[in-house]
Amino acid sequence: MRLSQLPGMIVRRHRRAALLAALALSFTSACGFQPPTPALTYSLNTPVIEKNADLAADPGAQSQLVGALEFLFGTPSGPRFLTMPEWVDEGFDPNFWGEDALKAEGHEAEWNALVASNRQRFHEQLDAIARGDLAAVKQPRYSDDLGRWWEELLAALPEGGPDSPYEDGTWREAAVKLFEEYYPSLATSAAFYHLQCYHCHGAEGGGNGSTSQFLEPRPRDYRPGKFKFTALKEKARPRHEDLFRTLAEGVYTTAMPSFRRFSDAQLHGLVDYVRLLAIRGEVEILLADSFAADEGLTFDAVKENYEFVVGRWREAPDKLIVYEGEIPAETPERIAHGRALFMTPGEQGGANCVSCHGSTGRGDGASAFEVDPVTQKRRRVKDDWGNEISIRDLTRGVFRFGRRPIDLYRRIYAGINGTPMPEHIGMAITENGAQRTMNEDDIWDLVFFVRSMSSHAPEVAQAEHGEHQAQ
Amino acid sequence: MSSFKHTLTRLTITLLLLAVPVLGVWTWLEADRWHLWFPPYVSSYGKSIDRLFYVILWMVTVTFVLTEGLLVWFVFRYSKKSDEKAVYTHGNHTLEMVWTAIPALLLVVVAFSQMGAWATVKMNFPEDGPYTVQHPLMEVYASQFDWRARYPDAQGNFESADVVETPYEITVPEDVPVVFRLKSRDVLHSFFVPKFRLKQDAVPGMNIPVWFEAQEAGSYDLICAELCGWGHYKMAGRIHVLPQAEFDQWLAEQRAALKSTQ
Repeated sequence: MRLSQLPGMIVRRHRRAALLAALALSFTSACGFQPPTPALTYSLNTPVIEKNADLAADPGAQSQLVGALEFLFGTPSGPRFLTMPEWVDEGFDPNFWGEDALKAEGHEAEWNALVASNRQRFHEQLDAIARGDLAAVKQPRYSDDLGRWWEELLAALPEGGPDSPYEDGTWREAAVKLFEEYYPSLATSAAFYHLQCYHCHGAEGGGNGSTSQFLEPRPRDYRPGKFKFTALKEKARPRHEDLFRTLAEGVYTTAMPSFRRFSDAQLHGLVDYVRLLAIRGEVEILLADSFAADEGLTFDAVKENYEFVVGRWREAPDKLIVYEGEIPAETPERIAHGRALFMTPGEQGGANCVSCHGSTGRGDGASAFEVDPVTQKRRRVKDDWGNEISIRDLTRGVFRFGRRPIDLYRRIYAGINGTPMPEHIGMAITENGAQRTMNEDDIWDLVFFVRSMSSHAPEVAQAEHGEHQAQ
Repeated sequence: MSSFKHTLTRLTITLLLLAVPVLGVWTWLEADRWHLWFPPYVSSYGKSIDRLFYVILWMVTVTFVLTEGLLVWFVFRYSKKSDEKAVYTHGNHTLEMVWTAIPALLLVVVAFSQMGAWATVKMNFPEDGPYTVQHPLMEVYASQFDWRARYPDAQGNFESADVVETPYEITVPEDVPVVFRLKSRDVLHSFFVPKFRLKQDAVPGMNIPVWFEAQEAGSYDLICAELCGWGHYKMAGRIHVLPQAEFDQWLAEQRAALKSTQ
């Protein structure tokens, strides 16, 4: 008898046992039995390690690097920032970065939105607390920390009932506040990230999750710390608000959808975790790049790089591109000037937009493509992450990270991080034979011209609609 | 096989078979209590869709119970007995005519009774309201894996740089027939709002008019009902129905926000 016949034989000889086993199996799976999933770990950024021959040849130093990163940032199941003593003196704790920022002055609107969205998300729990039916308060999904805090609060219920004094007010007030002002911890946000983001962005935020290989454009690799969509100048690291906006609105016409179906608190928590991954990734890259065999991985290098990267993220809010006053009037003259800037190539002293976006604005200019040095084939240009990119077709009216005039203004003002789109403020141009640098008005003129490309007069639009209907 | 064992097997099989119609009818009766039944409709044509659904549901319920009952009875009554020989029968012509004619008649009834509802939802677009097929309230774009509403500028132009675009959230006025155009940026999607009893495919290259009238302010789920790719499961949206005055204010605020420099 061959071995492959064995299962069939067992089933034939022990029909009842096989039937019972099958029933038991289907019963357990129907009861939600799940095999245990292995805990996630952070892996090293191999391409970066391999670039440094000293580090690539030294497994001991590599495990030191792993240890240093874990010391600073914890693990996927227990992420945290190491708080530096000087930060404590300044009242800054990166572990509560987002929450503290939202509670600070000037962010009342965002905080109120968070409370309102918590009220909606936990309305069942809040109703039950209002009724006094504490047994009916359900454990919230995807928020283990809140469930734990609720258990703790419930254990501390005074004998006099929910309306007895507790801390500053009554116990009931504390219970309501717990749900209304809920802000997830880093660990809960990491678990939520693993549910929602991990399959595209990967455990370390490397944009290399299992789904990523099917996507065009590829998901963002956070590790270099570069983010395309910010409202900031000088290629600064993004603000909390910038990442939140990307999560809430999605990146249109990519696989990154709007995540507004989750509560504000959940999205703020994800922003915090993404920031942790980005900082962790950048510290890793800086340490790997600067590693030298004779020095080894020093404590000073770790501390210095960590403080440097965190410092960069901390200064982001100061880099906002602010335009004082109202948006200027959109006149035909200004659109014409914007057109002239747009259409004039760089060597003739123009803003050079035409070279990539093309004379029709469809993103098919000569510089949108290049010859691959290896294959010698013509292909699209690549961004800093090594992915081929499509230059924006300005006629479609699809503008990622906002289509308001101020959004376009900021796009053109500062360029797009990690792509060939350059910073335009201060760019040298030649007009009427005179050399000068681009100023805010020039940028507005470009904005007005770009807007005119994505719109048609009502009569043209009507005619096109008519055609559609006739078809 | 002993006669006792035979009877036991016969009874077990009959009871198991009987469990099918009993469980079927029981889940239907209990579904409402477990919140598994239809959510109450809030659109003007919800009633006609539901009525149609219940007409068909009653037809199939009666047929289901009847045929299942017959099946159970036949299994019990004509169970194999060791010493009996099977009988060959050519069938009953009259019986076959009856069970062909009755379903055919039922199908005719369904075909005629649905015409009104179909015409209301898919053909007769409101013409005297503020929004018409020529001047829709908005365009809704489906794309992998995102719903997006585009409201025209203050002059009603959709091809303007000043359109208001809202991802995920779609806001509409209450108690007014809302006409919009449904488009897709990539593949097939389907605009499905269970509480409106509205489902319409979004087809790339087509510009499909859709209408509804929401009769109750509130927020309702929008889901994609056409498998559109790996992220289909997460392609959701939310429809906010506001009283007309609030809606007008909301739209004016959105248009004003375009001018913001914040």
